[in-house]
Amino acid sequence: MPHSPHAIELHGLTKRFGSFTAVDALSFAVPRGSIFGFLGPNGSGKSTCIRMLCGLLQPTAGTATVNGFDIERESEAVKRSIGYMNQAFSLYRDLTVEENLTFFGGIYGLHGARVKQRKDEVIELVGIRDYLQRRSGQLSGGWKQRLALAAALIHEPEVVFLDEPTAGIDPVARRELWDLLFELAAAGRTLFVTTHYMDEAERCDQIAYIYLSKLMVQGTPGELKALPEVSPAGTRRIAVATARPANALMTLKRQPFALDATLVEAEIHLLLPADTEDETVLRTLRDAGLADVAARPIEPSLEDVFVTLTRRLAHDARSAVRL
Amino acid sequence: MHAALYGFKDIVRKEFLHILRDPTTLVFALMLPMLQLILFGYALDFDVRHVPTAIVDLDRSPESREYVARLQSTGYLTVVSYLSSPELAEQALRRNDARVAVIIPAGFARRFGSGERPAVRVLLDGSDSQVVAPARNALQRPPETPPKDSVDVRVNVLFNPQIRTQVYTIPGLACVLLQMITVSLTSFSLVREREQGTLEQLMVSPVGRLGLIVGKIVPYSLLAMIELVFILVMGNLIFDVQTAGSFPLLMVLAVPFVLAALAMGVFISTVAQNQSQAMQMTMLTTLPAILLSGYIAPRETLPGPLYVLSAVFPVTHFIRIARGIVVRGAGLADVFPSVLALIVIAVVLVAAATARFRKSMA
Repeated sequence: MPHSPHAIELHGLTKRFGSFTAVDALSFAVPRGSIFGFLGPNGSGKSTCIRMLCGLLQPTAGTATVNGFDIERESEAVKRSIGYMNQAFSLYRDLTVEENLTFFGGIYGLHGARVKQRKDEVIELVGIRDYLQRRSGQLSGGWKQRLALAAALIHEPEVVFLDEPTAGIDPVARRELWDLLFELAAAGRTLFVTTHYMDEAERCDQIAYIYLSKLMVQGTPGELKALPEVSPAGTRRIAVATARPANALMTLKRQPFALDATLVEAEIHLLLPADTEDETVLRTLRDAGLADVAARPIEPSLEDVFVTLTRRLAHDARSAVRL
Repeated sequence: MHAALYGFKDIVRKEFLHILRDPTTLVFALMLPMLQLILFGYALDFDVRHVPTAIVDLDRSPESREYVARLQSTGYLTVVSYLSSPELAEQALRRNDARVAVIIPAGFARRFGSGERPAVRVLLDGSDSQVVAPARNALQRPPETPPKDSVDVRVNVLFNPQIRTQVYTIPGLACVLLQMITVSLTSFSLVREREQGTLEQLMVSPVGRLGLIVGKIVPYSLLAMIELVFILVMGNLIFDVQTAGSFPLLMVLAVPFVLAALAMGVFISTVAQNQSQAMQMTMLTTLPAILLSGYIAPRETLPGPLYVLSAVFPVTHFIRIARGIVVRGAGLADVFPSVLALIVIAVVLVAAATARFRKSMA
């Protein structure tokens, strides 16, 4: 079923290593042509899941399809139709940019005029023409990632897996890489991206958040922010700015009106009952000796979403133990 | 192309690029054997001569002087000092001024004249066992003419008439070096792929595992073959070690040996986490190759369990083959048992390494 609206589908996909369950019954679908953000803390099972989808690992239970191919029974077909870009630069450092592209084209069955044409196209796409004869190990971080992306795209894969593609590169290179990703998605490719950067998550069409090997939530960024757990009825969210945010956080957390308080980039994101005035909050802070306080209403950020959901889950787990 | 072998040609091309690109690999592959050949060739000479010797001549007669001259003329001993007492001779040995002391008692000439067998006392430095044998050779050979009733022994040394050590050691050295280079290059190249994450990049591609392994093995076995020719040519040029038998036969029989060594390299790569571990494990395989294979001491001198163990190493059999062909001019039929053993070992190792490699990828 190559014309399914979903590029990737997981049905109860599970991986156990001994008694440890690294991926626990994941089920979700990735729409074709979307940028799909696959998020979660380190060790939550993201990489294991990607490794299964790419055919590097066999699932313990459940099934999944990539481009309509079953990852277990048709792993060769899966491999031909996906691109893979790892967080660590994993091309040959002693080969030149062009030699790397020729090699990766070759192992995907591209030779002669075909590989030449495809090389030209990806070189143009990532704009690396000036460095073709440079050894890839001597490129800067941003250029390395562009080369890795070019190599992952050389065989025109329908689906590209990007495991923290922007880890450790500078902000400008990061933005440029994302511009490239948008271009690819616009051209109909499906991008499956993991990241720890919230601004990158905001740019995804869809997000799945994994916590403790389980899928916690999936949806568009807008849908996640509107979740009742994140924004319960009768509450509102404000950002409080002050000169000493850490102290302010301590003070606010003790207040009965603070349903949730988190420090986000030198501001405090505060969840309040809808009928609590800004002035009540500001007065509390001034009384505690904090000057220059200001408040403004905000939408929850994705960080708020994940922090709220994670806390909730940890809290539920603790209550469950107490029972 | 068959799915398992997919990407084979591209891997081969890439490996050659790596070899050409990385000067350390080339230096390691070509200069190291060269250096070792020269070092081992000169240093590992069991044909010990000119052992420094101290003389204590208490007789001071023309006969005693003649005896000393005859000892020297064997070439095994070189007189470095004349001392006045046995005590001083002992001291000289302890200080390593001499390795052998010959003490000629007073009355040596008188007994010689009276037809009695004169006695001579010899002190040997037992701390270096290599010294004892030549000293014994020298001391037992010169004086008497053989008694009339003894058997007339005519020794005829086949194959290495001058009994030069190099003729014996260099074919062995070629085998040991070949193994070391092959094992290390293969394990390094695979461990490097693992370390740099490129192995994972290959595993998500349609490249077959067999294609990957064979693609890696081909360039390095070619390099190993060049290596073997190189060592034997250098051995010929520097130490005049001629190949008595068929050189092409030796090259053909080297194939199972190189495959076995490559398999050991693949095996190491599945265990070693990084290149320095791979290096240590390579050394671990080299040591038994040197000590137990018959390269230095004949295998027959090994105690029972070690003797049996040594039959497991591919290098043991290849040394027998190489010596047979190079020194004794042996043909395929002459070395056949070793060839058979080598092939069996190679098949087992390659199968085990491939299985283990597959598993380590999963």
